[in-house]
Amino acid sequence: MSSKYIERFNTSERVLHWFVTVTFFTLLLSGLGLYSRLFTGYFNLFGNGHNAIWIHKAAGVLFFLSSLFFFWHNRRRMTDFNRDDAEWIRQAGGYLSKEEVHLKVGKFNAGQKIFGVFIGVATLILGVTGLFIWMPELFPRWIVQLSLMLHGLLFVGSIMFVLIHVYLGTIGNPGTAEAMLWGKVTRPWARHHHPKWYKEVGKDP
Amino acid sequence: MSAMADTIQAENRKGFLVDTSRCIGCRSCQVACKQWNKLAADQTEKLGTFDDSRDLTPSLYNRIRFTEGTASTGELTWRFLNERCMHCGDAGCMKVCPSPGALYRTSDGIVAYNKEKCISCKYCVSACPFNIPRYDADDKVSKCHLCLNRVGGGMAPACAKACPTESLTFGKRSDLIARAKAAGKTLYGELDLNGLGVVYALEGPPEQYGLPLKPAIPLSIFIWKDIVKPLGILGFWGSMGAILLHYVTIGPKKIEEEQDEEGGAP
Repeated sequence: MSSKYIERFNTSERVLHWFVTVTFFTLLLSGLGLYSRLFTGYFNLFGNGHNAIWIHKAAGVLFFLSSLFFFWHNRRRMTDFNRDDAEWIRQAGGYLSKEEVHLKVGKFNAGQKIFGVFIGVATLILGVTGLFIWMPELFPRWIVQLSLMLHGLLFVGSIMFVLIHVYLGTIGNPGTAEAMLWGKVTRPWARHHHPKWYKEVGKDP
Repeated sequence: MSAMADTIQAENRKGFLVDTSRCIGCRSCQVACKQWNKLAADQTEKLGTFDDSRDLTPSLYNRIRFTEGTASTGELTWRFLNERCMHCGDAGCMKVCPSPGALYRTSDGIVAYNKEKCISCKYCVSACPFNIPRYDADDKVSKCHLCLNRVGGGMAPACAKACPTESLTFGKRSDLIARAKAAGKTLYGELDLNGLGVVYALEGPPEQYGLPLKPAIPLSIFIWKDIVKPLGILGFWGSMGAILLHYVTIGPKKIEEEQDEEGGAP
């Protein structure tokens, strides 16, 4: 009898994921007050706005490095878009109806790939624009102005993607969060959600 | 949001009228400003022009900008402009400032600031249509505050007080504009950006003075604050709503329990 569970993410992948998560939410909380005066109250979490900016800068550096490294680690599986992904996108991953669909999905489905690539690119642009905003006196004004706009825009895109990511990774797909918590998923889960990947890794030694 | 909008009462608004035809470039305004506001001297450089203080600094709130040029008629032009914070009616700096009370508007319409509340984000530097705010050695905003401590006491700002030719006059903005118009002057800044607090009577086109023809809040800043910000908030709650709706209508993707029994490879 084979084990009921198979490993989906190893320990270092999980630690890296949660490191990126913590820096992301630190950036979110410290940046909200900078996004709009409507959210000035969030500065209080850090004492005052001045501290919030410093935390935002420190967390920004950590997020930039860890998120890019995370993307680099998954770069092959995240960017190998193929015909099965096109079919997944055509059917919106089966998320728009109650009917059961059977899609050929590898380790990551097309939605996860899009999310991964978006966050990778957004990290790069948020980091570079963040640097321009950090030291505006060193760059032409139009670059800093454009950076302020892009930084806000990509933040909005990121938070919307992250909301969906959290939903689909937890209550939207029961059994999924475990992959990122202790690394293992059940065989039925793997067979159902990622059949191509399961064929690769599901065989017992 | 309306409570946070920058409101200005036109009838109380005070400001400058700068009649450039009367300016002799003596820079009394610069000196008086430094003296009243106890600002340190800046190291200047002789560069072969009158324009020896080349730019505003954290301790130079106003200066005379000397601009040489050639008009389209071939005539040589030499323009003097008192350069400073314009105390815009629609102020880009106030629009972007994330720290309540760091940049604020007085009942006179002055765009004033409180260094203690400044959190050193420098957004105002990028959002200013005229590139005016500077940051001091403590990393705090620094610019002309229109001598609000003098104005509050019924006095004219130091620069206007010191101007020997009355090129720089201070008073009720609407009166100054009415008087200048009655004298047949062409005005710059009467209506731009909801009216500038510094209105100029220029002798030539604005570009001869190094002024933007149509001053406006930079486009990227406008998009950031007036489009991305509200749409972002909408996008966040829209996503939350869509997720909730998805959960209660279509619902989670549950895995059939009986599959569990099979175990092994498919």
